[in-house]
This record gives sequence, structure tokens and C-alpha cells, in this order.
Amino acid sequence: MATKAWAVAIVIFGAVLASIAQVLWKFGALGFPETKALVQIFIGFVLYGTFAVMFVYANKAGELSTLYPILATSYIWVSLLAMYFFNETMSLLKWAGIAAVIIGVAFVGIGSTKEVTA
Amino acid sequence: MATPLWAIAVIIFATLIGAFGALMLKKGSAKFNLNIFQQLKNWQLILGCSLYVLASAITIPTFRYGELSVLFPFVSLSYIWVSLLSIKHLGERMNAMKWLGIVAIIVGVALIGLGSG
Repeated sequence: MATKAWAVAIVIFGAVLASIAQVLWKFGALGFPETKALVQIFIGFVLYGTFAVMFVYANKAGELSTLYPILATSYIWVSLLAMYFFNETMSLLKWAGIAAVIIGVAFVGIGSTKEVTA
Repeated sequence: MATPLWAIAVIIFATLIGAFGALMLKKGSAKFNLNIFQQLKNWQLILGCSLYVLASAITIPTFRYGELSVLFPFVSLSYIWVSLLSIKHLGERMNAMKWLGIVAIIVGVALIGLGSG
């Protein structure tokens, strides 16, 4: 099964939702057990559930070995969101890691359009 | 604090479970639709979700006792498992470009973990 572009797009967007969910869970863990924290945790589950539905749906039109690596982009979003919301520090190592992940996901995507060798 | 061996072992085990979970989700995707009642009979979907939740559940405690710089690279093993399982159980094929991408992702995750120390 060749991987359709819309399936890739769905997973990319889904990974963003999953990342936001993780940030909400972190907020929730920090404020637990206040009501506000419980709401954050709940919304986090809603977003993560939405991501899960999106990922399964996308797999109707794409290969798992192509779509699954896209989930690595969540490392990028979580790093950036944590920098903004939790004042976590970025470092050269982290930026280099983010660049490597982007390159890696791109390679997997490009590779999925090529003729197979194995 | 050095990362205990049990934490690394748990992570490796979790990535294996998680990868099988992803495989089951993929298998369940063929019959997937937004009809919840129909999906209750989609055993691959249910198994996949269960395995994925289990993998996440056992992973979270390890981050309390282990360093991110050590654990993150092991977490990225899941990308290798999924690629191998896709070949074996889904008839998918890898190529040099895709493997190179997997390596880059593993390196990237390792660097992010190192930078989080």
C-alpha cells in the first residue's frame, strides 16, 4: 500500500495534538489535585484520544513503517512547548536533536515514495 | 544518580509492547470507522490500544528513577521494532532511505535526551 499524502498530513497534525496533551498533563500533574488541574488532565485525554483516532484512521491509507516515525515529531513540539510554557531551557544538543528528527522523518517520507530494495 | 538497570530493562520491554500495540492498531485500521458499537468488536484495535496504554503506563515510572539522557535513546528503539514488525507481519518493505531516516530519528532523540540532562 503506497502511503497517501493526506494520511501523512493527518499524522503530523495528530502528533501536534498529542504534544499539546502531554503539556496539559504536565500542567495537571503540577497543579494536582486542584479542579483546574483535573480539567487540564481531562482535556489532555480528549486530545490524546482524538490523536489516536486520527492515527488509526490514517493507517487505512498508509504504511505503518512510514506513518509511525512521524510520531517522533512530537519530541519537537513538546520541546518547543515546554520552552514556552515551563521555561525549560533549550540547548545546542536539543536543537541538534530536533534537526536530526526533522531530517529523519523527512527521509522516511522520501524513502516511502521510492522503489523498494529489500 | 545513575540510571538503574531495571529502568532500562523496563523501557526496552515497554518499547516491544508498544511496537506490537502499533502493529495491532494498524491491523485494526482496516475495519476502523467512527461507529463506536462496531469498533467494540474490533479486537485488534482494542488489543492495540491496551498494549499501547500498558507500554505508556510502565514507562512513566522509569523517568522518575532514570535520567532522560540514558532512557530516551532506548525509548527510540520502538522505531526499529515497528519497522521490523512491519516487514514481518504487514508485508511492508524498508529501503536504505527509510532506514537512514530511522537512524537519524534515533540520533535525534538521543541528542534531545542528552540535552535534557
